[in-house]
Amino acid sequence: MTVSHDVLSHGVLSRDVLVVGGGPAGLSAAARLAAAGLTVAIADEQPELGGQYFRRPSPAVLRAHGDHRPEGGRLIARVRELGVDCLTGHLVWGVADDGRTLFATAPDGAAVRLRARHVIVATGAYERTHPFPGWQLPGVTTPGFAQHLAAADGTPVGRRVLVAGSGPFLLPVACSLLDAGAEVIGVAEAGHPYTPSLRATAALRHPARLRELAGYMARLARARVPIWQGRVVTGASGDDSVSAVTLAATADPSRPVGTFAVDAVCVGYGFRPQTELARLLGCEIRADAATGDAAPVTDAFGRTSRPGVYVVGEAAGIGGVHLARARGRLTAAHILAARGGGDRREIVRLAARTRALGRFTALGEALYPSPAALQDALVSALPDETVVCRCEAVTASDVRAAATDRAGGDLNAAKSWSRAGMGPCQGRFCGFAVAGLVRAARGGERGEPVFPARQPVRPVPVETLLALGEQEPEGDAA
Amino acid sequence: MSVTRITVDGEPVDATAGSSLTAAFVAARRWRLRDNPVSGEPRGPFCGMGVCFECEVTVDGRPGVRACLTRVVPGMTVETGAPVETGPPSVGTRP
Repeated sequence: MTVSHDVLSHGVLSRDVLVVGGGPAGLSAAARLAAAGLTVAIADEQPELGGQYFRRPSPAVLRAHGDHRPEGGRLIARVRELGVDCLTGHLVWGVADDGRTLFATAPDGAAVRLRARHVIVATGAYERTHPFPGWQLPGVTTPGFAQHLAAADGTPVGRRVLVAGSGPFLLPVACSLLDAGAEVIGVAEAGHPYTPSLRATAALRHPARLRELAGYMARLARARVPIWQGRVVTGASGDDSVSAVTLAATADPSRPVGTFAVDAVCVGYGFRPQTELARLLGCEIRADAATGDAAPVTDAFGRTSRPGVYVVGEAAGIGGVHLARARGRLTAAHILAARGGGDRREIVRLAARTRALGRFTALGEALYPSPAALQDALVSALPDETVVCRCEAVTASDVRAAATDRAGGDLNAAKSWSRAGMGPCQGRFCGFAVAGLVRAARGGERGEPVFPARQPVRPVPVETLLALGEQEPEGDAA
Repeated sequence: MSVTRITVDGEPVDATAGSSLTAAFVAARRWRLRDNPVSGEPRGPFCGMGVCFECEVTVDGRPGVRACLTRVVPGMTVETGAPVETGPPSVGTRP
């Protein structure tokens, strides 16, 4: 959608509130703030609002199967009815020197500056992946991609598919694949969350979660899909696309235990906050000891170390859709209160709800192996020839050599020497593994969890930069 | 009625209007969308959410379009592989 000229003067859009990211958290915050009369804009790089969780099904799937998440459609409709400027197809990629103006690219390549008193970063999460030999082959994907293909487009990612990694998300993905007509040859889970039995797990204290997991397990059992626990993918092979996948014991990744014929492999170990924009805005970041991820430091209201900048939803820490929506509403209520409006009881109620949902998330996470420990184990067993940085085709041995011989165990120097993390994905998929390899090279001493964020956070067309230069220079030209 | 025809590398491909362009490729078993510029190895869509840039294609003459963030429009013309040199490059990926 292109913004009409009355809201966009000289490529600058100014609003009370700018929300970056149109997923559950961003939509929830925007709806609350717009309902209170503030002017709000949402920018999202996707062609439609909804983020990943509320991604809209294609029209054909809607007609044939209906909306699998109708609450998402209702929330999007409400945001539009409330008059929020919905800048879909707009990629927010940088921050001006003033630290407040955001740079974006419109769908036609035009440059847009976005300004607001309150900036809400709701950039969501992306999938936690670990490199293995062959993971760069076509047909090896994230589970999330398979889920979108199945649920939103009604297309199975393959005919014979292995789903692997760790975390509760693997089960619904395997079920969606079955629904879309794929054969799921198995689900390989790195930990042992479902033994000795699902009933013995801590999830029993949360009947709703237990019911949900049990439902997926029953569906997989009916289709005779085995769930292999304590197994990780350690190799994929094929010519133009994947045709075989190898599993090993999580405890001994160097010893294969089986190889299977497949035409698609979906591997993911949960989700990571997408924090690049928050970091560009100067928000303080910490390394999460349990996950190994980088997460912005926020308080209960989503406030960061930068005044007027908030981080909500999965970008502030993984917690699921309910927590994301509650955090979005709580931040909105806090902003309204800070402006002299709002409702104290609303804040108290939402704060209690986010605390309860946070405890619920912690309980669920306790079932699965610590992502940080798993990453350390997998990185140390990584064969030298593994392509670690997909974009620049940098191998584990390249990174190890750069870290040891030339970088003196420094992450950024290792990046410079090896080129790992310098491609279009900007190290999102290799950064944590590269950091792990560099850490191992300096004897395990902890340091930065990943590369610093740089702008543009995504590659930007040259025409956007040219257009920025032609607009009035205000000391913020890129 | 929503099945439409798009052109991929000069060949007609059936696709569903309004679905993601990556879904059209996967349904047609066209996994190899490009070769890595450094190693020359085949690459295809990986993350499906705009992060990995492995599904970049040229759509109606516009290079560097992420297929996973693009919806199928009847009659659209898609070129896989590296974009021809005439298109404007993206910046920010090389220091």
